[in-house]
Amino acid sequence: MIDNKNGDIRQFLFEEPGERTKRTIRIATAVSLVLLAAVLGAVIWQFYRTGQLDAKYWRIFIRWTTWRFLARGLAGTLEAAAMAGVMAFAAGFCLMYGRISRFRWLRALCTALIEFTRGVPTLLFIYFFFLVAPQLGIKLAAFWKISIPVAISACGVVAEVLRSGVNAVPRGQREAAMAIGMRDSHAFFKVIFPQAFRYVVPALISELVIVVKDTTFAYVVNFPDLMQNARVLISNYDALLSTYLVVAVIYILINYLLNKASDAAARRMRNTGTAAAPEMQTGAGEGAGV
Amino acid sequence: MSEARKEILKNESGNTEIPVIELRNVNKYFGQSHVLKDISLKIRKGEVVVVIGPSGSGKSTLCRTINRLETIESGEILIDGVPVPMEGKALAALRSQIGMVFQSFNLFAHKNVLDNVILGPVDVLHRHRKQAKEEALQLLARVGVADKAAKVPAQLSGGQQQRVAIARALAMHPKAILFDEPTSALDPEMIGEVLEVMTSLAKDGMTMVVVTHEMNFARRVADRVLFLDGGSIIEENTPEAFFTHPQTQRAQDFLNSIKEH
Repeated sequence: MIDNKNGDIRQFLFEEPGERTKRTIRIATAVSLVLLAAVLGAVIWQFYRTGQLDAKYWRIFIRWTTWRFLARGLAGTLEAAAMAGVMAFAAGFCLMYGRISRFRWLRALCTALIEFTRGVPTLLFIYFFFLVAPQLGIKLAAFWKISIPVAISACGVVAEVLRSGVNAVPRGQREAAMAIGMRDSHAFFKVIFPQAFRYVVPALISELVIVVKDTTFAYVVNFPDLMQNARVLISNYDALLSTYLVVAVIYILINYLLNKASDAAARRMRNTGTAAAPEMQTGAGEGAGV
Repeated sequence: MSEARKEILKNESGNTEIPVIELRNVNKYFGQSHVLKDISLKIRKGEVVVVIGPSGSGKSTLCRTINRLETIESGEILIDGVPVPMEGKALAALRSQIGMVFQSFNLFAHKNVLDNVILGPVDVLHRHRKQAKEEALQLLARVGVADKAAKVPAQLSGGQQQRVAIARALAMHPKAILFDEPTSALDPEMIGEVLEVMTSLAKDGMTMVVVTHEMNFARRVADRVLFLDGGSIIEENTPEAFFTHPQTQRAQDFLNSIKEH
């Protein structure tokens, strides 16, 4: 995360290695590479022995219909994740704004909601919308049954990430806005939040990665996302290893691209001089891990 | 300012002139500590009042109470004879008439220099963007940073940032400007350029309250020096009189302690 002008984080944490340390590092590297190769070899050998590498399991990926089917699933994943992301941001913003409000009851309410959504597993929200909501007479399309619970489970984290950004904006910024005659909300939207948002873009994108991964619960509500379509392929062709491998690579690619976008955004902000507050650069990573 | 003009100002204020800023028996507490003790003060139009005193004497707090960035526990603060409102739209409107320059510049970090200056005029005073821009460029030229209009604050030196902050205050056409230790966060070689701008403002007749440690500036530019210690105004005099013949032991001690380095 911290790849600022002075180099990467290792330069802050460790001394420059000396001769002996360099030799130790070389030996350790060699040993771990050998071990890794051994484990990988064993895994592949085991797959080979049990016939998982047989051509019949991989042939389906020559047909373009397989890819079209997976692409449809991917589109479903992206749609659900995008919708969940937008809803989580909107709800998270409201919860954050409520939590910093001057009304005590609103602060208490929003704090409770944030803690609730952060504490309950996503799957529980999905079961609620899948099993309980229909009994209450709420009929939703599968798309909403996945995107709403995923959004709910992310919005508390988003609220806290945004709030940490708001707290990181120096107090003088608000005072300067007050001094030219802005009122509280005016200063918040024009001066404080724009800066806070820039601080937390990396943390927000990390949360978006979690949202993408949470949409894999779509199989619970029979929404055809990438994971659900992969399961269909597996049950039809019995191609467990190959399909999961391909799907995993696709997920890794999506999230890799998201993280790249996050890095690019962070770099662009640094170059325009609106660098993240120093304490936020590490704070951002913490927010992502929640 | 000549003694003669001083007399005229004094007489005027004695009769009809309403002070731009007036404090009446202002008291301020931070928890247990009594940081402003019964402060009364009148500042006339066009006057430059420099507030000095040891750290912790309450001089910054005094400056910040005037536009209510700090609240007060008792007493009254009047701007142009009207009490400073407690809150809301009225308070915001009043603040828009009083400029403020901070120790740490506080330029809006996400906006470039020009946008920093026009944010107030456009967003608060609802002036036309184009008109505000033209004026902002003139103000930036006046403080000597016209060539930095498109830069963001982080790309500027401290002295340049503080001059932009002064332009931002001027863009609101304030009745007075409060300077809260405007040079305390600057490297020595940049202090001069900021004081120069402030001196020229004073010459142009701006009403100014300046909290500072720059004794030479106080001596050259101030119409009146307030010496604050322990939350009270200990001495109030012309700079000439204050610096050559301080009346109290505390002021003498303070001036000596500064001279030592």
